[in-house]
Amino acid sequence: MRALRRVSQGVFLALFTWLVLETGFSESPPQLLELFFDLDPLISLSTWLSARSLAAGSLLALLTLAATALLGRVFCGWICPLGTVHHIASRLRPKKRGRADAEGFSRWQRAKYFLLAALLVMSLFGGHWVGVFDPLSIMCRSLTTLAFPAAQYLVADGANAVYDADPRLGPLRLTLLTEPAYRFARDDVFRVNRQTFAGGLPVLAFFVLIVALNFVRPRFWCRYVCPLGGLLGLFSRRPALRLKNDKDACRNCGRCAKTCPAAAQPHEPGKWLPSECFVCWNCAAECRSDAVAFALESPLTPPAAGRVDLSRRATMAAGVGGVAALAGFRIAPETRGEQPFPSTLLRPPGARAEREFLQRCIQCGACMRVCPTNALHPSALEAGLEGLWTPRMVAKIGYCRQECTLCGQVCPTGAIEHLPLEEKKKVKVGLAAFDVSRCLPYAYGRECIVCEEHCPLSPKAIYVVPVEVTLRDGSKRVIKQPRVDADLCTGCGICEWSCLFQDQAAIRIYSANESRNAKNQPILPGPGIPPAAPPAEAAPPPAGPYGGGETTGAGNASPY
Amino acid sequence: MAKQTRRQFIGTSVGGAVFAAGLARAQEAPAAMAIARWKGEPVMDEPTDVMAPKLARAALDAVGGMGRFVKKGDVVWIKPNMAWEQPPELAANTNPHLVAALVKMCLEAGAKTVKVGDNTCHDAKKSYVASGIEAAAKDAGAEVVYVDRDRFRSMKIGGEILKEIPVWPGMVESDLLISVPVAKHHGLSTVTLAMKNYMGVVESREKFHQNIPGCLADLTAFLKPRISVLDGIRILTANGPTGGDPKDVKRCNVVAASTDIIALDAFGAELLGYKPADISSIAAGVKLGLGEMDYRKLPAREIEVS
Repeated sequence: MRALRRVSQGVFLALFTWLVLETGFSESPPQLLELFFDLDPLISLSTWLSARSLAAGSLLALLTLAATALLGRVFCGWICPLGTVHHIASRLRPKKRGRADAEGFSRWQRAKYFLLAALLVMSLFGGHWVGVFDPLSIMCRSLTTLAFPAAQYLVADGANAVYDADPRLGPLRLTLLTEPAYRFARDDVFRVNRQTFAGGLPVLAFFVLIVALNFVRPRFWCRYVCPLGGLLGLFSRRPALRLKNDKDACRNCGRCAKTCPAAAQPHEPGKWLPSECFVCWNCAAECRSDAVAFALESPLTPPAAGRVDLSRRATMAAGVGGVAALAGFRIAPETRGEQPFPSTLLRPPGARAEREFLQRCIQCGACMRVCPTNALHPSALEAGLEGLWTPRMVAKIGYCRQECTLCGQVCPTGAIEHLPLEEKKKVKVGLAAFDVSRCLPYAYGRECIVCEEHCPLSPKAIYVVPVEVTLRDGSKRVIKQPRVDADLCTGCGICEWSCLFQDQAAIRIYSANESRNAKNQPILPGPGIPPAAPPAEAAPPPAGPYGGGETTGAGNASPY
Repeated sequence: MAKQTRRQFIGTSVGGAVFAAGLARAQEAPAAMAIARWKGEPVMDEPTDVMAPKLARAALDAVGGMGRFVKKGDVVWIKPNMAWEQPPELAANTNPHLVAALVKMCLEAGAKTVKVGDNTCHDAKKSYVASGIEAAAKDAGAEVVYVDRDRFRSMKIGGEILKEIPVWPGMVESDLLISVPVAKHHGLSTVTLAMKNYMGVVESREKFHQNIPGCLADLTAFLKPRISVLDGIRILTANGPTGGDPKDVKRCNVVAASTDIIALDAFGAELLGYKPADISSIAAGVKLGLGEMDYRKLPAREIEVS
C-alpha cells in the first residue's frame, strides 16, 4: 500500500503540474485545473463565506469531505501536490546518527487549526486570505511564477549559450543537438513566450521557506501550518479506516513512530491521532512484526485513538485574531474602497469591484499562467496587504489582447468574471497618459507615434496633432504630437508596451477611469468639451409672462 | 489635304514597320511591373481563394514568370505582412490565398525550399494563426518559420542613417526574399507598403520612426529587392496599421508585381488615395536611386483577369 501511495502522489503531482503547464498555452484551457480547485473544501467554504455565493462546481468539495470522513486525511497523504513536494523534501533530510527519538504529538500541531479558524472567521467578515495558505493555490502560484519561468530560462539561456559559442563551421556541431531540443521545449512543452513575473520574489521566498522547514521537522507545513490539513483533520476524527496496533506482536522498536511524517503516534495503542494521520502507510510498511495495520471499521464505533484537544478559548482567540488581522488590512484606503485609489493597480478586464474581487480571489495565479502576453503579475503591496499576490496588469511587460478573455475563463472563483468577448472589449482597465517630459515628439522634437500605431481601436484612442517645434538650430518643423482620447481609451496597455522607451515608457496606464470602480472615473463620457456658444443674434427674446406671443419690436418685450 | 510625296510615304511606312516590330518585341519581353485587376465591380464578401491565385499568376507571368527570379534549388523567403493578430477580412495582414499562390509558384519554378515568416508586432503564434497565413502556406508546401528574438544577427548595412541593425539571418541569407505587403494606411508614414514591409526582417526597429523615410530607404537599399508583390485585394484605408473596423476595408481586387519597389509603392499609394510624391519614404527611395516613382513610365502593364 505504501508503494501504491507513492505512485498516487507521483501521479497527482505530475497531473497538477501538467495541468498548470497546459493552462499556459491553450486557447481552451483545461477545465480539469478548475476541478482541482472545486474539490478543495477550504477554498469552497471560505469563498462561500466571504462572497456569499457558491459556484455550483464547489459542491464537489463535499466529495472530498465525505472521503475524508471515511478514510481520514488521504488527501494529504495521497493527493495533495504540495504535500508531495514536502514529502520529497523531508526524505532529503540528513539521517540522524544514533537512535532518534520517536516523535510524539506536539502542541504546535494545533496551530493549523487556529490558523484555519482565523482564516474562516476573517472570511465570514469578508476578508479572503485563504489563498495565501491553501496548498493548491500555493502550488499553482509557485509553479506559475517560479518553476516554469525558471525552467524556461534555463533551457533558453542554455540553448543560446551553445548557439552563440558555436562557430557554425563543419558538419559536426553541438547546435545540431541543442537547437531541435530547444525548439521542442519552446514550442511543444512551454508553448508560451518566456514569462517573467514582477513581484515574484516574495512568492519565491515564501515557497523556499516552507519547503526548507521540512529540515526542521518532516512535513512541517502539513503538520503545523496547513489550514486545509486542519479542516480535513477536523473531519477525520472518526474515520472508518483505522490504525490497529497488535499489542502482543509489538516489540516496541519504535520504527513506526520514527517513520511517521505526521507525528500521529502510531506506536502507542489507543494514542493514534486520526486527525493528524496522512494515511501514508509508512508505519504499517516499516513494522517488522506485523503489529501495525490499517483496517476498516464502522465509523459509528468510537476508535481506539487519541484526540487533538482544541481549547475553546484558544480557538476563539484565533477567530478574534482573524478579525484583528482583517482590521489591520482595512486600515489602507484602497481596501476600504475609498480614495485615493492606487494608480498602479490595474485589474484584468472582468475583475469585479475591488471589495468583491478580494472576497473571491484565491491568489492561485492561474490567470497569470494563462495570459498569453504575460500581462498579469502578483501584487506585492499595490493592492494593500489584503491583496497580496492578487493579479495586476504591468503594461510595460505585457498588454491585454483585444480578442481574449482567457483570464476570466480560468479563474476558479469568478473573481475575474468570464465576460462575453464583445462585453469585455468595452471594459476599461484604466487610462493612458503621456509623460511629456519623455515622449519624443514633446521632449526631444523627434517623430515617433509607435503608440498610435499599436492602438487596437478603430477609431484609435491616440490621435495626432501637427505641432510646430523649434529645433536646436533654430529652424522650425511640424511634427505629429500624439494625444490620448480619454473617452475612447480602454487602458489595454499596448501603447505602454510598445513605447520605444524600454526603461520607463513615455505613455503609461493608470487605474483612473476603470469601469469596475464608479468612484475612480474622472472622465465625463462624451467629447468632454461643451459645444461652442451660439452666435448672439440667433435667439429671439423670450416671451413675457403676460400675454406671450410675438413682440412688436426688437427689445420691446413689455410684459404688460 | 496635300498629296503625300513618295518620300513621305516611304518614311511613314518604314517608321510604321519599325514601330510595329518594336511593339512586337516589347510584347514578348517581360515587363518591369504588372498590375492585374479582377474583372467587374468588387464585391466585399466575395471569397478570394480563386481570385488571388489567378491575379498572382497573371501579374507574375507578365513580369516574366516566377522562373525569372527563382533558379532551381533556390531557398526562397516569402515575407508577407503577418504582424498583426487580425483575420484576413480586416486587411491588416496579407491575403493568405495570395501567399499560398506565391509559394506554389516558387516551388513550380524549382525552388528547393520556400519559407514563410515575419517578425510580428503582436504575439507571433496568434498572428500567424489569425491571419490564416500559417495554415495556407503550410498547405501550399511552405516551411513556416517563427523567428526567435534571441537569434537575430547584427549586420552592418552601410546606410546613411542605419549603420548596423539586427537582421533575421534566414531572410537575409535566402537566395530570394520577396516582400509581399498589403496596402494599408499608416499613422506615421501615411502608407505601409513594400518598403515598410521590410521592417519585419529586422529587430530593434522602434527607433526607425524618428526618421522613417531615411531608415526605410537604407533598409531597402541593403536588401536589394528583385521582385515584390502588392496585395491590393483588400486594402485598409484608415486606422492602420492595426485596423479593426470592417468599414475601413476597401475591396479593390488588384495584385501588382514589380522589379522596381519604388514604382510598386507608388502604385500602392495611389490605390490608397495618396499622391506618390507626398509619401516621404517613396521620395527618400528615389533620392537613393532605388527606383522610379512614376510607374507608368516603366511601363506598367495592366491586365484584366477573370
